[in-house]
Amino acid sequence: MNFNDARDLMWIAGGLYGSAFILGFLKTFRLNWSPLNEAPLAGIIIGFLLHTRALYLRGLDIHGCPLGNTLERIQFILWSLILTFLILRLLWRLDLLGSFCAGLSFGAGWLTLTLPNTDPKYWLATDYHKLFSDPWIELHASIAIFSYGVFSLLAIVSGMYLIQRKALLSRKFDKLGSFLPPINDLEIACWRLLTVGVIFLTISILVGGMHWTRHPEFVTSIKLAVTILLWLGYSVVFLLHLTHRIYGSKFAKISIILFLLAIGSLALVNSKNRENTKQEIKPVQSTDLSL
Amino acid sequence: MNKEINQSLFLLGSSHQVADLAARERISLPPGSIDEFYNGLSQIEGLDEYLLLNTCNRTEIYGAVQKSFSFDSLGKYLSNFRKLEPEFLSQHSYQRNDHEVVDHLFKVTSGIDSQMVGETEILGQVKKAYEDACQRKAAGKMLNRLFQKGFQAAKWARTNTGISRGQVNLGNVLCDLARRIFGKVSNCRLLVLGAGEVAESTIEAFKSRGSQAITVSGRTFDWCPLCRNKPAELAEKFDGFTLSFDRFKDSMHLFDVILTSTASGKSLIDYRDIQKSMQKRPAQPLFLIDASVPRNIEEKVSQIENVFLYNMDDVSTIANENLKSRISEVDRCKGALARRAAKLWEQMTQAREIS
Repeated sequence: MNFNDARDLMWIAGGLYGSAFILGFLKTFRLNWSPLNEAPLAGIIIGFLLHTRALYLRGLDIHGCPLGNTLERIQFILWSLILTFLILRLLWRLDLLGSFCAGLSFGAGWLTLTLPNTDPKYWLATDYHKLFSDPWIELHASIAIFSYGVFSLLAIVSGMYLIQRKALLSRKFDKLGSFLPPINDLEIACWRLLTVGVIFLTISILVGGMHWTRHPEFVTSIKLAVTILLWLGYSVVFLLHLTHRIYGSKFAKISIILFLLAIGSLALVNSKNRENTKQEIKPVQSTDLSL
Repeated sequence: MNKEINQSLFLLGSSHQVADLAARERISLPPGSIDEFYNGLSQIEGLDEYLLLNTCNRTEIYGAVQKSFSFDSLGKYLSNFRKLEPEFLSQHSYQRNDHEVVDHLFKVTSGIDSQMVGETEILGQVKKAYEDACQRKAAGKMLNRLFQKGFQAAKWARTNTGISRGQVNLGNVLCDLARRIFGKVSNCRLLVLGAGEVAESTIEAFKSRGSQAITVSGRTFDWCPLCRNKPAELAEKFDGFTLSFDRFKDSMHLFDVILTSTASGKSLIDYRDIQKSMQKRPAQPLFLIDASVPRNIEEKVSQIENVFLYNMDDVSTIANENLKSRISEVDRCKGALARRAAKLWEQMTQAREIS
């Protein structure tokens, strides 16, 4: 293990998230071992610090925010997810949410590290200078990816809402259900996360849109369509919830579906890059990385 | 020579484990006679320290005794004091010595020896009995250590095992469900239709958790001078409000929890009523409890988004499940407490040998 290697650090961070996930659930199911009490949160915090260092090292390699390939984007989303959870953890004592977040970060993080072709070394190309030609585009991409992190947390909280709702309607309360927050609090949390996510995504679209009006040739029509559709999807849900037309289980289900679509849209962007990398390692067009 | 060297622990007691309610009533000490009972205990030879635990379900005398102490003397004293036949007392009581006393106290404080397994009230009662004994200077070094360790064991058991998990009382089960839906029960606005025992138990449980907005409504027979206005009496008892029964449907959207417990024998709230009130409180959950037989709320209302309807069968099932889950934890808890008790007794005997 090399603590100056971004990938090694990502593996360790993923492992720590995985440990936090397992320990968190053991704690939830009342394994009688007191050191377990703070271990999941400690695992998430140490994992987050190593994850931050990993992204920092990769950022030094590529001279910018690490969003140049699928692995980097997924890792940045997972980092944003954990960051949002840690901020929320200051406000609410939601340890079970931490376990869900750690589980997702572990699973998705290790999967992208294991899968081939998710981490082409584009920055080793001879004519490579830096990832983003324009700092505004870098800002656009990083805010957009951060909003994905918030939306992933929204999907997790929505999942928790559906589990709690199912328990309440079926009148069967297993141990997991009994440790979930009240259903009303979960819906409020979903609404706040959606609001924050939509604000960040809108800022990102505005910043990206300003660049696009000047250089429309850098943005493919598929990317433009996906981005606008996704933003519209979240904005419509936001407005429908604001006017009380969608709430409860429908709201939770739509939030999860939209998140899956958002993750799917990343693959669309990636397929284009992969084609590029098959031919030769080339620096990625700055606008390919935007959402 | 230090008195503590020859001391050992002793317990004489009666509880629901060995005595039915009628027997317990005979053995239990009336509150006004506690002073006199303590005075009598101080006269028993060889009884250096003593503590009386007297609750509705158990009467127990804990003691640190010298070798000269005769077990029969304490039994005789209690029989005489309560005017019981010695055979009756021996039939409905138990005696424990040394490490058995430690083990027994740990089980009592943690609630696993209680009639309602895992209940927490007993810990407060033991604490009160201990404070009382301390004030009377009846508890000394040995009982102090025993009871302090007993409180620690209770805390450990509640934190590390599931013996107190889940509610088993009707009102508490409903409060627990309300907490799962709304979070803080104190913020819930409760409407109760009817004024029977179930209504009262529920209001009591909500009130004890800080709920301030409690409203009672029910059919009253104002034309009859002999009829009591029970809803108004219930509301007054718990500082609540009353609502005219004819108008409760117009105000349903203002409440988070609605309990029906009437003997009307017909459906009072139907699908359209709830649909109408949910339109006025969108995105806010509604918790309905139908405690009436025959039911007062149309079952179809549970199909409406954000509406959670429970009837008495559902609530009873949850209470029974909670009780089962507590009982399944008892063996684990007993084993762990026995190990703690053995360790404490070993420390106590070692300390005696050293001194």
